[in-house]
Amino acid sequence: MNRNTWISAYARFLGTTFSVNLQAVMEYRVNFLIQAFGMMLNNAAFALFWGVLIERTGGIGGYGFSDIMFIWALVSSSFGLAHILFGNIRSLGRIVQKGELDLYLLQPKDVFLNLLASRTIVSAWGDFIYGFIVLCFLPGLSLGRLAIFSSFVCSGGLIFAATFAAAESLTFFMGNSSAISSAIAEFMLSFSLYPETVFDRGMRWVFYSILPSGFIAFVPLAVFKGLNWAMMPLVWIVALAYVAASYSLFRLGLKRYESGNQIGARL
Amino acid sequence: MNVIEAEGLEKTFTTRVKPEGLKASFASLVKPRMREVAAVKGVSFEVESGEVLAFLGPNGAGKSTTIKMLTGILAPSAGKARVLGLDPAKERLELSRYIGAVFGQRSQLWFHLPPADSFRLIGAIYEIDESDRIWRQAELVERFGLAPYMDVPVRKLSLGERIRCEIAASLLPCPQVLFLDEPTIGLDVIAKREIRLLLAEAAEVDDVTVFLTSHDIGDIEKLCKRAIIIHHGEVVVDESMKDLRHRALARKLVGVKYAEPVRFQIDGLSPVKVKAADVAGAAGIAGAAGVAGAGDGAWTAASFEVDTRCHQLPDLIRALAEKGEILDLTVEDEPLENIIAGIYGAQSGAEAAAAARPRTASAPAAPQTTAPAGEKAFS
Repeated sequence: MNRNTWISAYARFLGTTFSVNLQAVMEYRVNFLIQAFGMMLNNAAFALFWGVLIERTGGIGGYGFSDIMFIWALVSSSFGLAHILFGNIRSLGRIVQKGELDLYLLQPKDVFLNLLASRTIVSAWGDFIYGFIVLCFLPGLSLGRLAIFSSFVCSGGLIFAATFAAAESLTFFMGNSSAISSAIAEFMLSFSLYPETVFDRGMRWVFYSILPSGFIAFVPLAVFKGLNWAMMPLVWIVALAYVAASYSLFRLGLKRYESGNQIGARL
Repeated sequence: MNVIEAEGLEKTFTTRVKPEGLKASFASLVKPRMREVAAVKGVSFEVESGEVLAFLGPNGAGKSTTIKMLTGILAPSAGKARVLGLDPAKERLELSRYIGAVFGQRSQLWFHLPPADSFRLIGAIYEIDESDRIWRQAELVERFGLAPYMDVPVRKLSLGERIRCEIAASLLPCPQVLFLDEPTIGLDVIAKREIRLLLAEAAEVDDVTVFLTSHDIGDIEKLCKRAIIIHHGEVVVDESMKDLRHRALARKLVGVKYAEPVRFQIDGLSPVKVKAADVAGAAGIAGAAGVAGAGDGAWTAASFEVDTRCHQLPDLIRALAEKGEILDLTVEDEPLENIIAGIYGAQSGAEAAAAARPRTASAPAAPQTTAPAGEKAFS
């Protein structure tokens, strides 16, 4: 197949999958609205907490209130985007365990992409929108800054998705990786939401390796504040490298897949 | 032309085993014990284009594992498979464009959405031109009678309706081979019949090769021209439905009911079931084991299992008619289930193959062609 048809075939496939996912979550209208707005309310409560804290201390680790709000906005939107587009990143392990990968193996589309994209998480819509709302209240917002922000939301979304999916892919090797993958998800979110400088120097290498919070929040903050465009391609290269690594890990694991025919068992 | 070729297909799984109890659980934390389980042991067969083939076997025989190897979900441990000239393990993505699969216990339809949306998505996954997809979908909706369900969320459909949608969905991309794993599982008689008719029609109209696994003898008898039976991971029967049925038809079940209690014995043929008449008030149906004594007593009804290669059916009926006034007489074919159950019940693949051999080999009496010598006298 030539390259253009290949790209248009995948574009159509992902577009249709996205639209079907969206229709599926909107089947339950009330649930959709409660979850989306509930998540925004939840995030807003944290903003209030930080506001009060920073008013008293006058800044934490060199971060002011708007810095904190920026990383909150960015992390929230990227995290949301990852779960909107690739809703199965946190269920991959369970799907493998239950032998439900069969369905995706029978279809003529890339298993990894097909599997991850075939679901959307309702509350993630709230996360995604919240980030942009917060951004609107930040001082010094310009079109350029909005573009930088949006670009980082995309790269951050990819890094989140790649890291979560990689952790879940460990199921192929361990049989059950739910503990390690939920720990990775929790740590990565928490680390991304606090100023980098509050962490010990010796620990910071973690943010640029297994828990890449650095590329999701800290580097983007520096770019955003200094309008330092040169760093942007670097972040994108890193994001694509994480995606490639995650994909390879999944392919490696797939060779060990043993299917199954669970109907409903006690776990 | 062969569309499916399997040559010595094998699949071995490594399973962790653990004896009962908490202590053993701790022990296996430190040193897990592994055991190799051979799910499929050297299965070979060929399927021609346009065939409707039944792939039978009891639970755990290796049916699903074989299907998974043929569709590329699992890589075989040994042996070779070719489907439409492609190696499923190595060319899975390419192969998936030309095959369809319906796994009765797993759905490819979006649970919360109407089938129409899933069809649209399947169109995108298989890269079917949108106008072709609409045309093809309209044809399938018409044939499968799906019009009333196309806009109802799948979760609100009955199982029969859902399976119909599943089969239609898997036919949407016009596959050349359709694999069905237990498509009629859990369906009622009417829904089963509908599915069978639709599959037969699909094989004919869409020119698709059908590879079907099932427990349901009805499915197979009505639909398939050939059957492969596997047991303990080995092929024990591979023959045309006609031959398999012919073997079954050699046995007849003859039931008789008399107006008055009768008392007689037939040499070489004991009833498998009788209704004794001389037990006052408590006349009941005794099983074959309890019949020995009842043979001397009087009874009003009985049924016999007759091998027509040893006994002439008309002679038996004549003999029965002479004993008294008959109220009812039934002659039935032995159900195919019994034959297959005999094979299923066998302990190992070798035993199963022996059970599957034509019965003439082990028949106690001479074959039918030398009837006078071998025939029993009914007196």
